Amino acid sequence: MRTVIIGAGQAGRRTAELLRGLDAEREILLLGEEAEPPYDRPPLSKEILLGEEHPRGLMQRDIHAYETQRIALLLGERVEGIDVGTARVAKADGERIAFDSLVIATGARARGLPIAGANDPRVLTLRSMADARALSARLRPGLRLAVGGAGLIGLEVAAAAIQLGCAVTVLEMGDRAMARCVPETISSRIETWHRAAGVVLKFGCRLTAIEPRREALRLYTSGGEIEADLLLVAIGAVPNDELAREAGIAVEDGILTDASGRTSHPQVFAAGEVARIRRPSGRHVRFETWQVAQHQPVAVAHALCGTERPYAELPWHWTDQFGHNVQILGAHSSGLDWLLRAEGERLSCLGLDADGRVQGAVLIDNGREATPLRRIIAAGKPLGRQRLLDPSVPLRQLC
Amino acid sequence: MMTWHDVAPEGDFEPDVPKVVQVGDDRIAVFRLDDGFYAISDICTHEYALLSDGFCEEGKIECPLHQACFDIRSGKALDEPAEIDLHTYPTRVEGGVVQFQL
Repeated sequence: MRTVIIGAGQAGRRTAELLRGLDAEREILLLGEEAEPPYDRPPLSKEILLGEEHPRGLMQRDIHAYETQRIALLLGERVEGIDVGTARVAKADGERIAFDSLVIATGARARGLPIAGANDPRVLTLRSMADARALSARLRPGLRLAVGGAGLIGLEVAAAAIQLGCAVTVLEMGDRAMARCVPETISSRIETWHRAAGVVLKFGCRLTAIEPRREALRLYTSGGEIEADLLLVAIGAVPNDELAREAGIAVEDGILTDASGRTSHPQVFAAGEVARIRRPSGRHVRFETWQVAQHQPVAVAHALCGTERPYAELPWHWTDQFGHNVQILGAHSSGLDWLLRAEGERLSCLGLDADGRVQGAVLIDNGREATPLRRIIAAGKPLGRQRLLDPSVPLRQLC
Repeated sequence: MMTWHDVAPEGDFEPDVPKVVQVGDDRIAVFRLDDGFYAISDICTHEYALLSDGFCEEGKIECPLHQACFDIRSGKALDEPAEIDLHTYPTRVEGGVVQFQL
């Protein structure tokens, strides 16, 4: 019995290791396109940029750790196609590998900017270790860095770059920071950290063209022209679902799966960020988080062994900027009423629906409340505002 | 040389609320659990974070940043992203004062 996993990122590694834990016998092949052994991505936009070579958060094991687990890790291997009819994957070098079951864990790639001049070598994106090292090598005091996008990655890079002495300008089409995942009151706090450190934030600012000049990039925006030595484009990610689509597997901005990671083909599964997962509500949702790459493979590994452990976790992600930790629980929706609960410097922002049930939360430097809030959200009980906001009532008493 | 360090009077401890003592570069968190006092390193082995800021329940402490979970009695890392166990330190109650040895 052989399981082939395409993609040796966090989700691929987790699937391989969890599968080995459940099944000592089967042959496991983990194919990665990069030369690097699997790693977690969160440090790429933080510690790696600040010059740490091997932050512990990378979770990057030595290749011998895979030998010990009898996981055949093949790096620098690009898969060109999947033939579900003959149950084989085709590598770029022409070799074909047969599988009994296949896991697609190809993740996502940085979205490019579809404007003139974006192919200049001074226009970068950040997704891989190689990207992070290339960016890190160019950040130096005085460098004029423009960041396109005030989302989580763009702001983490801005925070690191300003700490390294760069002159940083963030250009954002929308009207506030991290608008996709936090309410306004949290955006304004995050913006305050950036401005206090000297980052220039320009909202309502659309980048329309890049004119590469010899000495600098000239950026044309809806809010005027600026010069930059380097432009980092951080405007989201696109799932690497082409292999699945070409193989005839159902795809819709991500590979459609059930809660156990099964795709439309019975031998093929999808793990991590490339999957668009069926939720208890019946909707399919794709997540771009460490959490999904870490925990959804539990469902996949079990399903590969014929047992059910459906993935139905409450969405959770975090960002670390300027020494602050921001955690985001549940869905962010403008339909919620957001209340602030402050305990000194620790902050909980609670999103209540019309019935008074907590549906989402954002925590600043207050991670100890994540587990109580997860339970409060899961319980789905209406809670009085008074009690929720009373700092003398610990949240753990309300769950 | 190993030394016993004072933490606080026994009666000052609340369940699930650690007390933290800094000794040189080491930061130690001391907990009262049902069956006694336990001392662990306060620094998460995954990424730098103070475990004493985390959520504590049923003898387990969860890192406030990324939810790595540790057994307070044994220091054992219970799940990824933590894989390295925490240091634990012997404790005793001497004249009503909780101490740990380092």
